[in-house]
Amino acid sequence: MKRKGEIGERGLPSLPISLKAKNWVFSRLEGRLAPYAFLTPALIVITLFFFIPLVMVFVLSFTKLDMTNFGILEWWRPANWSLDNYVKIFTNRFFPKILANTLIYVALTLAFFNVGMALVIALITTHINRRAGFAFRALWLLPRITPVVVYIMMWKALSGPAPMGIINKYLLGPLGIGRGEYLLNTHPWVFVILVNGFIGASFGMILFSSAIEAIPKDYTTASKVDGATTLQTIRYVVLPMIKWPLLFVTTYQTLSLLTSFEQIMLLTDGGPGLYQTEVWALTAYHRALTSYFGNTQWGYGSAWAVALVVIGVIMAIVYLRVFKFGELVQEPKIDRL
Amino acid sequence: MKKLAMKSGIMVVVLAVSLFLVGGVVSYGQETETITFTVRTRAKPPMENWRGDNFLLAAEELNADLKTAGDPRRVEIELIQDNMDWGPYVSEFVLGYGAGEAPDIWLTGHEHIGAQAEAGRIIVLDEMLKEFPIFNLIIDGLWDSTTYKGKVWGIPQDAEARPLYFNKALLKKLGWSNTEIAVLPGKIEKGEFTLYDMLKTAKEAVDRGIVEPGNGFWTRPKNGPDFTAFYYAFGGETIDPATGKLVFDTAAGLRYYKFFYDAVQTYGSMGCLGLDWSGAWHPGVSGSKVLFWIGGTWQWAEWAEKFLKNLGGEAYMWKNFGFGLIPAAEKGGKPNSLTHPLAYLISSQSKYPDLALALVAKVSNYGPNTRHAIASTHLGILKGQTEYKFYKVSRLLSEALYMLDYTTFLPNNPYWGPYSTITYEALAAAVAGDFTPEEAVDFVVDGLQRELGDKVIIR
Repeated sequence: MKRKGEIGERGLPSLPISLKAKNWVFSRLEGRLAPYAFLTPALIVITLFFFIPLVMVFVLSFTKLDMTNFGILEWWRPANWSLDNYVKIFTNRFFPKILANTLIYVALTLAFFNVGMALVIALITTHINRRAGFAFRALWLLPRITPVVVYIMMWKALSGPAPMGIINKYLLGPLGIGRGEYLLNTHPWVFVILVNGFIGASFGMILFSSAIEAIPKDYTTASKVDGATTLQTIRYVVLPMIKWPLLFVTTYQTLSLLTSFEQIMLLTDGGPGLYQTEVWALTAYHRALTSYFGNTQWGYGSAWAVALVVIGVIMAIVYLRVFKFGELVQEPKIDRL
Repeated sequence: MKKLAMKSGIMVVVLAVSLFLVGGVVSYGQETETITFTVRTRAKPPMENWRGDNFLLAAEELNADLKTAGDPRRVEIELIQDNMDWGPYVSEFVLGYGAGEAPDIWLTGHEHIGAQAEAGRIIVLDEMLKEFPIFNLIIDGLWDSTTYKGKVWGIPQDAEARPLYFNKALLKKLGWSNTEIAVLPGKIEKGEFTLYDMLKTAKEAVDRGIVEPGNGFWTRPKNGPDFTAFYYAFGGETIDPATGKLVFDTAAGLRYYKFFYDAVQTYGSMGCLGLDWSGAWHPGVSGSKVLFWIGGTWQWAEWAEKFLKNLGGEAYMWKNFGFGLIPAAEKGGKPNSLTHPLAYLISSQSKYPDLALALVAKVSNYGPNTRHAIASTHLGILKGQTEYKFYKVSRLLSEALYMLDYTTFLPNNPYWGPYSTITYEALAAAVAGDFTPEEAVDFVVDGLQRELGDKVIIR
């Protein structure tokens, strides 16, 4: 791209020296400011909708702001800040249960669906007829593109009590399993994990499929020539070559699951029993924004949210260190030669 | 010349007429001022829509009154009505007030008065009420629910009873005769059929396979006012009359939590907590899967309209469902019920509170209030309303009316919300088997002291 300063140097009518100097300064300045100009819209959006709310939530987490003192408590004054909310969280009688729920939810959904099922689908659909594989993957995208409320209502219809519930009527009933109970009430965790997993699996499926398809055919052909079975080819050729997307999906989906709660809220709202399927992010939402009699505790709920952010950041750092992301994202050494 | 004079004359007349007309329009515009009142109500459609819709008719009446009285003001209504959960509904008002956009008239549960009055978001009505004699017709006891620190802050809108419903068909399967079923409400009223008698009957139904385990007796699936009625039944108190502070009675609390603990562990009941209202709870009770359950009179209309219309609606329900008071805890004890009146409150941001109250006065009259009572099976709020021609057509309202003699209220205290959350969490934990009754009481005492400090009295 040509710059103004370069025009004069290429034989066009030359400018006086003072003007040249001015142009030079201007172009240097322009060169330095241009990136910021491009970044400004994003910076404004991030500042308004991410950074400022983050700071506010952080400050709120040290206050006792709730429905009863809104407009009365001067929450922005440091004199009204304390660590009480954090003490309340960690001494809460149900804290271990909520923490355990969160770990179970993240680990099982991740293992069985967001990584496990995603990898299985990617492997199957890249090893069958290309068009059939594409169609199958398109089907798996349906839960992700269905509006979440509609999607959850469909699951509620599936899990409903006999004779309305589809699973009870057409699957469990004919097999003589159960007594037609409301399955969300009797097996809530199965449905929480299924509902989230069916959406989550499509993310990894797309990344893994493209990564597998990008592996040069020579490698798999060579392994077949050497007499490797399909499983051996997957184990010793495919998996090592998709290590980076595998680790990326694991990290990204862990953090995503930690903070997700909307499907659980719509499906069980943390129930059916007390905190039976209540995860950390849902507790933050419940404390800050819902209560039958309207005593929403914005300060306390914020503390739950901030603690979750801290956990997320720590986990991200651990992942980056343990899986050596730095090395994985380096340029291939062979390209440098 | 003559023509010119004539033309000038015509011009003068046209100008004069024009000036008169313009002047008239301007003066009319100056004389009348249209004021928009925002009315925010919560209603389950279509049964409870009159809570807000009555204001649309009231505005016409009030405008006619204003015109007759020579008052230049006219009112128009901006009605916001939906079925939002109570928590977000209250948040909306508080945050709307913070933004200077509170509705002029806000309908809400009476228990929110304490918090909103303390924050200065609603106005005291005592003096203004005197200008509208219609308010003298409201049943005296209902004013207690809208009184906070000795002053009236809201106009009761409706009332209800929360009966113990029972399924007649299932009782018959248990071997009860028609006579035994018919006298059950009377036995409850006399204290001859207690809460534990109910649990024993429920257990028998479960043991004999008449209902599924857990379905002998149900409460509502989530926190709400009903549980407080049970706490009262076991002798509990929620408010100290001398100080106005909240009270938790540990002895009554222990009996209360033991009842619910026993209901699950010993009597095969309470498989209801956490259920989805429309997905499982209403289909469960209206679908004859539950023997005893606590509900509200307003749900009668809901079941008839939404769940049992195809089976015959109310006619089917009269045949299959019965109701009585919430039984006493011990033989010879006093049964109870709980009324949770909604009330119209006037925001302190309303520029014309006199007109807002005039609108509330219009909708508090026999006609509008009865329309709501009949459509939603809520109890009326006016003296002599049972004699009102159009009120008498509702069999349910007539038969449930005696329950008001046994009714109780929630306390009007700003800290009722946290109190209720903590006491309910303990109950849910006892039902889930996570807490013994003793642990539930310890949890409540610890939680209340930590959360509310000296704002609560532990006895």
